[in-house]
Amino acid sequence: MSHRGGERDFQTSARRMGTSLLFQLSVHERELDLVFLDHSYAKPWSAHPDASSARPTRMLFVTPRRHQDSTIEADIPIDVETVTSTPVPLYDNQKARSVMNECERHVIFARTDADAPPPPEDWEEHVNRTGWTIAQNKLFNKILKALQSDRLARLANEGACNEPVLRRIAVDKCARRVRQALASVSWDIKLVQWLHTTLVETLSLPMLAAYLDALQTLKGKIPTLIDRMLMSSTTKTGAAGAEALSLLLKRPWDPAVGVLSHNKPSKLPGSPLILIASSGPSSSMFPTSRRHRFWQSQLSCLGKVIPIATHLLNNGSGVGVLQCLEHMIGAVRGKVLEIHNHFPHKPIILIGWNTGALVACHVSVMEYVTAVVCLGFPLLTVDGPRGDVDDPLLDMKTPVLFVIGQNSLQCHTEAMEDFREKIRADNSMVVVGGADDNLRISKAKKKSEGLTQSMVDRCVQDEIADFLTGVLTRAEGHSGSEPRDQDAEKKKKPRDSARRDLAFELPERGSRPTSPAAKLPASPSGSEDLSSVSSSPTSSPKTKMATVTSVQKSSQIGTAQLLKRHVQRTEAVLTHKQAQAQFAAFLKQNMLVRKTLPPGTSSCLFVPISSDQTEEADKEDLRGQLKRQHPPSPPPGSKSSKRAKIKVTIVSHGDGASGPSLPSQGGTTEGGKPITVTRGQAAVGAKELTGLLTTAKSSVASETVSVSPASSSIIPNSTAPSAFHTLQSRLVASGGHCVAASPGSTLPGSTSASSLLQGLSFSLQDISSKTPTLPASASPGPATQASSVKLPTPMQGLGAITTGTGTIVRTIPVATTLSSLGATPGGKPTAIHQLLTNGGLAKLASSLPGLAQISNQAAGLKAPTTITVTLRGQPSRVTTLSPMGTGAASLEESTSQALPSTPQRLPPAP
Amino acid sequence: MATQYFKTVEHTSTNEKKSFKLKKPNYQLKFTLDGHTRAISAVKFNPKGNWLASSSDDKEIKIWEVYSGTYMKTLTDHNLGISDIAWSSDSELLVSASDDKTLKIWNVGAGKCTTTLTGHTDFVFCCNFSPQSDIIYSGSFDENVRIWNVKTGGCLRCLSTHSAPVTAVHTNQNGSLLVSGSYDGLCRIWDTVSCQYIKTFMSDNCPPVSFVKFSPNGENILTATMDNTLNLWDLKKEKCLKKYIGHKNEKYCIFADFSDTDPKLIVSGSEDNLVYVWNLETEEIVQKLQGHTDIAISTACNPKLKIIASAALEKDKTIKLWEK
Repeated sequence: MSHRGGERDFQTSARRMGTSLLFQLSVHERELDLVFLDHSYAKPWSAHPDASSARPTRMLFVTPRRHQDSTIEADIPIDVETVTSTPVPLYDNQKARSVMNECERHVIFARTDADAPPPPEDWEEHVNRTGWTIAQNKLFNKILKALQSDRLARLANEGACNEPVLRRIAVDKCARRVRQALASVSWDIKLVQWLHTTLVETLSLPMLAAYLDALQTLKGKIPTLIDRMLMSSTTKTGAAGAEALSLLLKRPWDPAVGVLSHNKPSKLPGSPLILIASSGPSSSMFPTSRRHRFWQSQLSCLGKVIPIATHLLNNGSGVGVLQCLEHMIGAVRGKVLEIHNHFPHKPIILIGWNTGALVACHVSVMEYVTAVVCLGFPLLTVDGPRGDVDDPLLDMKTPVLFVIGQNSLQCHTEAMEDFREKIRADNSMVVVGGADDNLRISKAKKKSEGLTQSMVDRCVQDEIADFLTGVLTRAEGHSGSEPRDQDAEKKKKPRDSARRDLAFELPERGSRPTSPAAKLPASPSGSEDLSSVSSSPTSSPKTKMATVTSVQKSSQIGTAQLLKRHVQRTEAVLTHKQAQAQFAAFLKQNMLVRKTLPPGTSSCLFVPISSDQTEEADKEDLRGQLKRQHPPSPPPGSKSSKRAKIKVTIVSHGDGASGPSLPSQGGTTEGGKPITVTRGQAAVGAKELTGLLTTAKSSVASETVSVSPASSSIIPNSTAPSAFHTLQSRLVASGGHCVAASPGSTLPGSTSASSLLQGLSFSLQDISSKTPTLPASASPGPATQASSVKLPTPMQGLGAITTGTGTIVRTIPVATTLSSLGATPGGKPTAIHQLLTNGGLAKLASSLPGLAQISNQAAGLKAPTTITVTLRGQPSRVTTLSPMGTGAASLEESTSQALPSTPQRLPPAP
Repeated sequence: MATQYFKTVEHTSTNEKKSFKLKKPNYQLKFTLDGHTRAISAVKFNPKGNWLASSSDDKEIKIWEVYSGTYMKTLTDHNLGISDIAWSSDSELLVSASDDKTLKIWNVGAGKCTTTLTGHTDFVFCCNFSPQSDIIYSGSFDENVRIWNVKTGGCLRCLSTHSAPVTAVHTNQNGSLLVSGSYDGLCRIWDTVSCQYIKTFMSDNCPPVSFVKFSPNGENILTATMDNTLNLWDLKKEKCLKKYIGHKNEKYCIFADFSDTDPKLIVSGSEDNLVYVWNLETEEIVQKLQGHTDIAISTACNPKLKIIASAALEKDKTIKLWEK
């Protein structure tokens, strides 16, 4: 199948390429095609012998290596005359030259007094520097130097066949130097404004044009700073001049502008939804990069784009990398589910950059999506390349496209080919020549091949469109009416069977509720979900994380259960802290960290988790909980408010244990904008929650109440989800019409009710899907329940479970990391944790630079480094990811892997 | 050597199967141009090939008409002797490097100096235009290479990595690379945009480099070293392809040039008063031009006609035009 399919794809793509930009741009691709068009029976040169699912790699702008033939060349007469023909520029040269000289043409706009004669060519000698301060002189000289080298570059490049590209490179360089100079005075507003006025007055026209070019470039990068700089001159020149100048500076010119705007990409068939998984938590401090925003808009040419941002809970303090990862995965998952419910027939495409790509892949293992596109793929980890036998990624069945850079640090082509061979999913790969992890090509590459980033991006986009078109048309084609459901069926089967087991046990557990409706949790999370989902009923980008939190929240249900849960919960948080302490101690022992140790750190290494401290805390918890115990089934009316209180207690406990810093994620967050709140369930401020819950209560109370009783029932915690699942599965099965079918339809307020149900369904699905995945590695259902219910500490529970897999060696570290997550309700092993056990998530976590940085900040450390300790000498193999970073860390294995990505993490220059 | 010789014959003249003798260029003396009062330092044809400019120690630049061998005009403004001259690509401008530490840009039509480039701190020894003729490169005894803006006359950049006087500067055909040779024995290749040096060539034992020049297509460079050798290098492979020996060059910076006649030739003066002509491919001396009575310091090949110009030092003071 794959052969025929591949061939057909290739032919269609060849046809498409005949007209597409791709064809014009990538010469090497064309050579390959000629062979194919003439000899259609030929296999592609890069065809995989073993893996039928791995399609041949496509090379974009990869310069073939020329082999040296020293024997022959002696006979070839030396040609000193013939000029080797330079490649024809890939863009409209005339147009490019015209935009290139825009600043030169309009340089007069910038001049404050246009009537005065322009400064003479030898203006430098006439600059009157009397009265200038040292700082002014210094800054002026720096700028002058930058402009002069730009002048030289312009002169040297003049007449070159790819002059626009060369000019672009030179201007970029000049802009960089100007920016550096301005940053060196910290953009001191007075100085900078003085500089601008002086330059405009004194520079000769060609130099002024160069200066404007630099400003234009910088305006695109740091608009506010440039605006501030220009403020003074605008008051002088008057409105007209200022407007003209601002128009001129509006957007940096691009040599390829004509070509790209003429060849607009067409929409994908089947109007798919494109979900972009973020590659790290976003926050106001570190907004998403311009590059990602740019790509987001690029992709919107192909279909509707829905970015999934994961916000950092609690400003990053006390949040582990793994915890955050779990959030990211959960967020994407939740979104996928939400969209499935809203638009059951729309194909979903997951796209991610780097870590986001990995998140997308992991989600595609768990949920049904049509295709996955990985832009940059962190293949190489501390533990070697991905794709070990136990790597969950190998189970992927979703068609996947890898787009990697030839010079990427996180993966290389050969290793990718190996990895691709192992994946069962239909997969393709595109290698972008001379590009890095973010698919940015190097300056040398641009120069030598006359390329611009925009052209490369466009070609990558064409490749993505090509791949997706193939996948989408095939999906539409081969399974007639309901292509999605078939696959969805397949996906769900294992999960369903597992659920059935759990469901079977439900009656045995003697759960009180009789109707599924009664089992709907009236937990605070339920109401939160309602508000969050209802705030954005359609798939707006803002819905994001609602479901993630609800997973854990909704699992904190029965009041009787609360006690046990709290103990476990506190335990988890404590051990999280402890794990950190352990790690710090480890660092200390290794003389790696001197100052950064938190006070009261125990010096023991990897002690059993149930230390005295923990137990004491547990007891306290117990007492506290006992005091606040509520009757198992309070009257519905008072329920939600009281529950809210309970909930608050829970969270505040967690906070107290998790660290000294109480979260302050904006106490103003209320029901209207609950997303931010719900996201951070692990460490959400107590205040916030109360606020939220009270507001939520007012709007939702009536609805919640009617469904609530079930949750108070004393259901063993792992049975509960299975019970919910019966509801959940129905919800999913009936898709968008779930409202009518499910018991929840009895609720008043249909719009919000449906949203509520969806919110619930997400959380439920999450729970139920996480629980049954365990049996894959351990003994099925019952064992899990037994352990997680009966054993008070998650460590033991896990220990018991994972022993079943036979990997005893790994149990201890797993427990440590698991408990360090703090987000695991009741220490229940989830699918994610299973990934972790297999090393999947650890690898995932190790490639999460953005997060590492943020959490480092939280820890008060300057040097942003992810430290991944892998102790091979220990009897157990411990893989701990800690947010505690230090630049001095020189752990043998970790640094070599961690360092290459460090530059990416550095915040952009001011 | 011999095998190479025959193979080349096959390449160059396949139809003349009988003659295994390579056809020898037969340059004959056409004109002797007399006018300079002291040693001549350089002769250059303009890109159109109709004029010849000569610079001399007598502080003058003289322009000659090539076809008739007649004197046209003299450009004077320098205070000391002139070491080198170069034409702009449109044949309108000349730049001259003088011992008075300046370079002067001349408008040939008007016969006047338009701009004086000051900045070097010692004799300016060599100069050249960029292909677009908006940049001038100059080398000096102050061991620096300077880059000048033709329009404004300002110095754009000063490259100081040589540790001895710079004897030659030249750019490739598209102006992206600059080569500079120096007495320190190094030939450096520079990126003209970023002014970073890319490559360094040097012969064994590092003999002083007296002259360096890009081939017309910019893929090879020709270097003259003061061990009586001319080398042809491959720029990409960074290896020496050909070696031209037989002449004498130990003391002076003697010019050399490519001749794009068929077969390709290398032309250089010599300290034994002869002008040597090699076959580029076979490294064989195909002709020695006899006539000068002093060291033939400068030679130039006409870009359009099959004419070689040569000029000699103090005892001779003449320019000779040789035609095939």
